[in-house]
Amino acid sequence: MKNILLIVLTVFMVVPALQAQKSYDQFEVQVDGLGCPFCAYGLEKKFKEFKGIKKVKIDIETGDFSFAYPTEKALTIESVEKQVVKAGYTPVTGRVVRFDGTVEAMKTAPKKETAVKAKNLITKTAFVAGNCAMCEARIVKATTDLMGVTTASWNKDTKMLEVSFDKKATTLDAIEKAVADAGHDTKNHKAHSDTYDGLPGCCAYERVEY
Amino acid sequence: MKYIFLVVVLFAFAKANAQGPPITADKPIMLGGGSFTAKTLTEIRDTERGTSVYVPIMLHYLPTSNSLFAVHIPYINYDFNDGTSGSALADIKVLGKYQFYRKDATGKTFRVIAKTFQSIPTGDKVDLLGQSTGFYEGYYGIVSGYETLKYGISTELGYNWSPEATVDEFRGKFGVGLPLLKPQYPNKQVNLYFEYTSSLFTDRDWYQLLYAQGIQYAGKNITFDLAVQLPLIQNLPETRELNYSVFLGTRYTF
Repeated sequence: MKNILLIVLTVFMVVPALQAQKSYDQFEVQVDGLGCPFCAYGLEKKFKEFKGIKKVKIDIETGDFSFAYPTEKALTIESVEKQVVKAGYTPVTGRVVRFDGTVEAMKTAPKKETAVKAKNLITKTAFVAGNCAMCEARIVKATTDLMGVTTASWNKDTKMLEVSFDKKATTLDAIEKAVADAGHDTKNHKAHSDTYDGLPGCCAYERVEY
Repeated sequence: MKYIFLVVVLFAFAKANAQGPPITADKPIMLGGGSFTAKTLTEIRDTERGTSVYVPIMLHYLPTSNSLFAVHIPYINYDFNDGTSGSALADIKVLGKYQFYRKDATGKTFRVIAKTFQSIPTGDKVDLLGQSTGFYEGYYGIVSGYETLKYGISTELGYNWSPEATVDEFRGKFGVGLPLLKPQYPNKQVNLYFEYTSSLFTDRDWYQLLYAQGIQYAGKNITFDLAVQLPLIQNLPETRELNYSVFLGTRYTF
């Protein structure tokens, strides 16, 4: 009897410890087309086909979709992209942070661009408040969605957005406004508080004082 | 009528954030390949001719994210003023949809589908339009929808072809869905629907414009629907005029 109790006790102590050691990769994808909460259900349901998926989070307002997946299964970001398409939605940006810290980004389809004359193409930087990788995806998307913008990158450490655009098609002020509309304060434009309040918890950056 | 107008105006200005699938209208959004939806939408139809209760059991299957196949097996009970009554299987319907256009953006989508309904004449020949005619009918239509987190708009245009009966029909539908709660996932919404159906029966030269006011509770993968449909315009024999229809339904996606 004592032995049985000992075995049961050991199992109860060892199994959770082993589970705790299981490593997960963290996937983050920006999904377009989630026009209703039912759409989000369709997306989650399709991803339930990936056995072992955990911590599924969908923000229908921003299209931010994240989940954790066992590292041992080596799920690729391309497979995730294809699964979003199979669910009937459009993957925009995405990345996976592997358990060992390496980051792999989704190769996004090149935007249809009208020809930009080299003399019109300029590169500028602007301060944009934000915190994390989801902020980065949102800021870059809000920027590159604008007509005339060719490339954009945002550094979460310096909070600086570097953007190249056709000066005949748009302005830095218009870009800052688009970013603010997406929920991120810039030096010249403040995000609406409703939009800011709707950001995921990890994106709750310190508001800019004006 | 005055109250319907008031309700429309009231909710047109209400703060709205998200919505679910429409009730009497159709939608072009399909929820992921490989999924099933079991539905029912009971219709209690009261006309000058009598009353019918139509209870379909519907199973929808999406082989891919842009195609749908469905079977509707309906049961009907009718009781007419001329003393005719009965309970029987109504016309079984087979539905097919194919989405051929999709434009997505953050928190919104616009989609267009082609749709066909094939009615198999398994019902009694009691001339209950759309329910039990006992004749083969084929419906072909286009459904489009613009869904955002603030509202949903759906339209449908189609033609019902009946080679052996006289129920050929040009059909148009227009629906607006407005949610009353803040968008959230998992879903927990109460939605309002304002849906219009325009039907021109070409063989009989009949015309009807109907308005349906609906309310829906939407959970994560289940909805409960209630709608009341009333005639706005009726150009058909008095003995066939619609008084009202009540729709009660639920759908479960798995």
